[in-house]
Amino acid sequence: MRPSSAWLRNHTYLVPLVLLVVAVALNYYFQPNFFQPRVLNGNLRVMLPLMVLAAGQALVIIAGGIDLSVGAMVSLVNVLLVTLVTRESGPPEVLLAVGAALLVGAAAGAVNGLCVAYLRLQPIVTTYATSFLFSGVALAVLPRPGGALPRALTTFYRSAPLGVPATAYGIALLLLLWVVLRRTRFVQYLYAVGGNAAAARASGVRVAFTRFLSYVTMGLFAALSAMMLTLSTGSGNSRLGDAMTLPSIVAVVLGGTRLAGGQGGVVGAVIGVAVLTIIRNLITFSNVPTWYQTLFDAVVILLALAGPGIVQLIRGRRA
Amino acid sequence: MPDRDPPASTPEPLLSARGIAKRYGAVRALEEASLSVRAGEVVALLGANGSGKSTLGKIITGITRPDAGTLTFDGAPLHLSEPAQARRRGITAVYQELSLVPDLSVAENVWLGHEPVRRGGIDRRTMKGRTAELLASFAGVFSVPVEPDTLVDSLPPSERQLVEVVKALAWRPRLLVLDEATASLDARQVDRLFELVRGWREGGMAVVFVSHRMNEIFRVADRAVVLRNGVTVGERRIGEVDEQELVQLMTGGGAVAAIALEGHDAPGAAAAPPGATEAPVVLELRRFASGVVAPLDLTLRQGELVGVGGLQGQGQSRLLLALFGAVPHQGEVRLEGAPVAFRNPRQALRAGVAYVPGDRNREGLLPVRPILENLQLPNWRRYGTPLRMERARRDAAAVVADLDVRLASLDEPVANLSGGNAQKVVIGKWLSRRPKLLLLDDPTKGVDVNAKAELYRLLARLQAQGTTILFHSSDDAELLGLCQRVLVMQDGRVTATLEGDTLDQRHLVAAAMGAQGAGAA
Ligand SMILES: Nc1ncnc2c1ncn2[C@@H]1O[C@H](COP(=O)(O)OP(=O)(O)OP(=O)(O)O)[C@@H](O)[C@H]1O
Ligand SMILES: [Mg+2]
Repeated sequence: MRPSSAWLRNHTYLVPLVLLVVAVALNYYFQPNFFQPRVLNGNLRVMLPLMVLAAGQALVIIAGGIDLSVGAMVSLVNVLLVTLVTRESGPPEVLLAVGAALLVGAAAGAVNGLCVAYLRLQPIVTTYATSFLFSGVALAVLPRPGGALPRALTTFYRSAPLGVPATAYGIALLLLLWVVLRRTRFVQYLYAVGGNAAAARASGVRVAFTRFLSYVTMGLFAALSAMMLTLSTGSGNSRLGDAMTLPSIVAVVLGGTRLAGGQGGVVGAVIGVAVLTIIRNLITFSNVPTWYQTLFDAVVILLALAGPGIVQLIRGRRA
Repeated sequence: MPDRDPPASTPEPLLSARGIAKRYGAVRALEEASLSVRAGEVVALLGANGSGKSTLGKIITGITRPDAGTLTFDGAPLHLSEPAQARRRGITAVYQELSLVPDLSVAENVWLGHEPVRRGGIDRRTMKGRTAELLASFAGVFSVPVEPDTLVDSLPPSERQLVEVVKALAWRPRLLVLDEATASLDARQVDRLFELVRGWREGGMAVVFVSHRMNEIFRVADRAVVLRNGVTVGERRIGEVDEQELVQLMTGGGAVAAIALEGHDAPGAAAAPPGATEAPVVLELRRFASGVVAPLDLTLRQGELVGVGGLQGQGQSRLLLALFGAVPHQGEVRLEGAPVAFRNPRQALRAGVAYVPGDRNREGLLPVRPILENLQLPNWRRYGTPLRMERARRDAAAVVADLDVRLASLDEPVANLSGGNAQKVVIGKWLSRRPKLLLLDDPTKGVDVNAKAELYRLLARLQAQGTTILFHSSDDAELLGLCQRVLVMQDGRVTATLEGDTLDQRHLVAAAMGAQGAGAA
């Protein structure tokens, strides 16, 4: 059966999926050992933290917002983790650190949420400003890069229980979490608020509270992302997450989520991260300067913003 | 079976469309549609919701391209690839989903795309002057002041509609399509529009007129063309046909209950619970006021259906919004005896109050979301965590069937529905809730005869179950046919309450016009 257009529209990740297949094929062409477990693991380890972050970003964007402070939140949680945990720490300290990380992530998200949802400040400006706040605190917590995690943890992150990389389990869990979340009122309300806030309000949705929660959730995802990243690097750096902000947005956009809100999903964002990471690989292989990566990110966002207009331009001539 | 009459064979038609077909994915919007209009003729285009009227209108004006069929205009084939081309040829339209830019002024909207220029710049003075001239044709019937500089965003739906007409006129059209241009207008505004239409007809303009209010068809049209499921199924001269026959053509015959034809036959009055005056009081207002709404007292009993009428924009919508907690109010409200003060719609909903907004695109719908989610938005609470999606889908399907919404699938975005079908979704999301108090702000605008009948039946069912209904309508026939009592508002005050002997057309019109002279001065 030919997929109907409605079906396609509700499965927005299909287009990025095609992109992913193309990107993987290209990568395989340049790097024939791409599918070797060691190489694959290396790629997945890089991808997972960004996937978690992009998943949170997708939720915020669906609800009609955007968060430019995610990178700084990741940095903040990262330095917090390495100050609370040392190479000698046992499970109690680690658990405490995880709890503290989630708390700080949620608190940082709550600051954004308060400003955007209740004080009605512009999300872009607000989160750009709070990103400096979070970065500042991170720098104060850990002025110089350093710190270390218990070896067992970093080894676990690189391990492959039952022959499957630990990070692959992480990705599966992330997708499972989305499947569960998708069937909650909270996520229905995120789509409704992003789709038309006035109509959502008239239908009894607590619009401001939903927006607030979207940022708090983003904070939690940022904390989770920071944990993965810290497992991957094994140390702390107050600027570690900074470079993740733009890619988190690009991945969401690549995944078929409209920046205008009300549409899209986490599956697309996760695939978007994979596409993005592989394209970075390709750029590395082709020996072009790395600023091409930034150029690429910028072009993707521009296309995403202009996309609907371009489609209309093309279709308007025919339809 | 299509019994297409041969086109009435007097002078050459100005526009003729033959065998037009248009598909959207799996949906056939038009299959075999034909329409011709002569200069100086008003043709009514009739059909149920989703029958393809708007699509045909968009094809004539170059917004949409047909998959098949031919258009001729002024004797020559017409190929349109964009609306600007149609406009240059003298074809414009007033579209059902309004096309005004809210953040621009009236004048800027009216001249958008053909601003008068002088010495390389926009000539704002001419622009305003000519807008004022055009607006003058509706002088005296605006419910709020409309000036060339007025921001469109500040206008109620009826005034936007009139500005939309003015915008179309600014192109000096030879052929004008009015797609449900009267749906949110009050009686006085419709009268004025029809006077103008008759004038244009004298001047040789061709008009295609779409409306679900049957009486309007008989007042203004010369000929009626009926679409059913995208096929032109008949064409009649207005003098030689009655409403019954047209409705039968639209719906395909027998199945139509006569109930839809006349507001008077609607089941409202009959369904009133016996001894309604003894029924318990549901809503009690004491010196209730909000914005333009002046302090008023009101008592509504269980199962009552009370109408709110008057000219458009006299505070009716504001009254309903305030009752729903969407805008602040003063004074006392008691719901089933208990004092309440809703500060937001959520509190009102929780207390059993539901509201169908008057502006479906602003407050009624999530255009990009699927129909399923639109219908269930106020109701998710009922489906537990995790949400039982299968049940939600079944319930939504039942509502859709109840209201006969024409759709391809529940997963389709609501934006793809025809205007009337979208309106049914706006109403449908409240139907499964059995509210204590249902507030309706002009809910049948753009809804076809059959669906109106269905809605009336639903209202009667809700009433019988004890729901109290406060119902604003811009359609007088509907108020008269459905309500036991009608409050007439003017300038934010309830100037008359009609019931029993006084509840008739004459009193309604008189009360609506009321102390108009004094009010306007
Ligand atoms: N852009 C679109 N995408 C998909 N389907 C569409 C689109 N536009 C219209 N349709 C479908 O085409 C059919 C005809 O729609 P149209 O708007 O022409 O109906 P209509 O006769 O104007 O109805 P109404 O009286 O409700 O305004 C409907 O079933 C509608 O769902
Ligand atoms: Mg229509």
